Amino acid sequence: MKYLRLEVLKLRKKTRSWLGPILVFWLIMLAYPLTIEVSPKNLEIGFFSVLWIAILLSMMFATEDIFTEDYNDGYLEQSLISETSFSYLVGLRVLIHWLLIGIPISLLGFVFSLGTTENLSLSLLILPFAMMSSYIFLNLFVLGNSLSLNKGSVLGAIITLPMALPVLIVLGKSITAIQLEINYSGFIFLLLGSLSIIIVTIPIVVSFIIKAHLE
Amino acid sequence: MHDILIIADNLSYKINENRLFSGISFSLKKGECLHIKGSNGSGKSTLLRIILGITSPTKGEIKTYVKKNITYLGHKNALKSYLSVEDNITLMGLSNHKDLKEYLEKLSLKELLDIKVANLSYGQQKKLALLRIFLGNTNLIVLDEPFVGLDIENQNILSNFLNKQLQKERGIIFTSHINCDVDSKTLKID
Repeated sequence: MKYLRLEVLKLRKKTRSWLGPILVFWLIMLAYPLTIEVSPKNLEIGFFSVLWIAILLSMMFATEDIFTEDYNDGYLEQSLISETSFSYLVGLRVLIHWLLIGIPISLLGFVFSLGTTENLSLSLLILPFAMMSSYIFLNLFVLGNSLSLNKGSVLGAIITLPMALPVLIVLGKSITAIQLEINYSGFIFLLLGSLSIIIVTIPIVVSFIIKAHLE
Repeated sequence: MHDILIIADNLSYKINENRLFSGISFSLKKGECLHIKGSNGSGKSTLLRIILGITSPTKGEIKTYVKKNITYLGHKNALKSYLSVEDNITLMGLSNHKDLKEYLEKLSLKELLDIKVANLSYGQQKKLALLRIFLGNTNLIVLDEPFVGLDIENQNILSNFLNKQLQKERGIIFTSHINCDVDSKTLKID
């Protein structure tokens, strides 16, 4: 709990880091109707594609400096020699980023979905998909960011972007299934399964990568 | 044997083909202080990082018997420039420490609690970072150039503190170019 509180303090006080990605998401979703002829049917056609891509990009921005500053000011070294497991600290940091950035973005996604489709049940179904995908994307970009810790975050994002593509495909298929009113629970379980593996493995892998960087 | 904190045997470190140091052996017992001396670029900081387990030696072996019960202050002070002094103290996990008030007064940091670290001088930042050491309560203290940036008065506070820690059977390893009044044995690396 102590580390959770401290990580929240760090992120909360750095407004740019948590508000930036939320604003990016908000701006993409606001800009989307401006690019097409506004009619409810037109809006709905591409809405979900834009939504998933907006979540993807926001999560990319959210991890932009997740370790860079701590790497530069020596905070990571302190974390490494602390009594608490380093991979646990990495996992905790990802969780905090998801709680402070991923959850608000998922909720905004729900609001935008409701505004666009005017379909409450569909919009409610979007929420768990948005929450799971944001957590998966976050973990993937954290991996990329750790790989390019001293080389700039864009390179890391490029490395891990292809790993996010299967998730985008699953998200697209699940929306089609929901709209056609066929069984979509398989997609939820697929995402849940991926997430459960990612939550465990990514912090361990990232902790090893960061240790290698610090060496 | 239970008094031993660290045993280093024949440590060497190379970066690519450049040898930084070789054949370094030492041991540290409880209540002992090791002052590592050497010219710039001789590998003092690297040796400290090897002791901490952050870096692996190219050759040799090091055994530590402190099980991560270490406080460390390196060249980088691990302070968050966008946070206030008070928030940084919270981040260090020291906000409820019983001796915090005493050290804040001793180091003249009490009036600076609301100020952002980015607005502090280098010396003030160093003093804030040293709180981690003063209030750490660990078996081993590792310091990289701890006296740099401190005025004479604060250098004396730090020296006195370190001498007191030796009486409490704690181990200390530090590098310093500045002559200091800490009861220590010297390890020279070139």
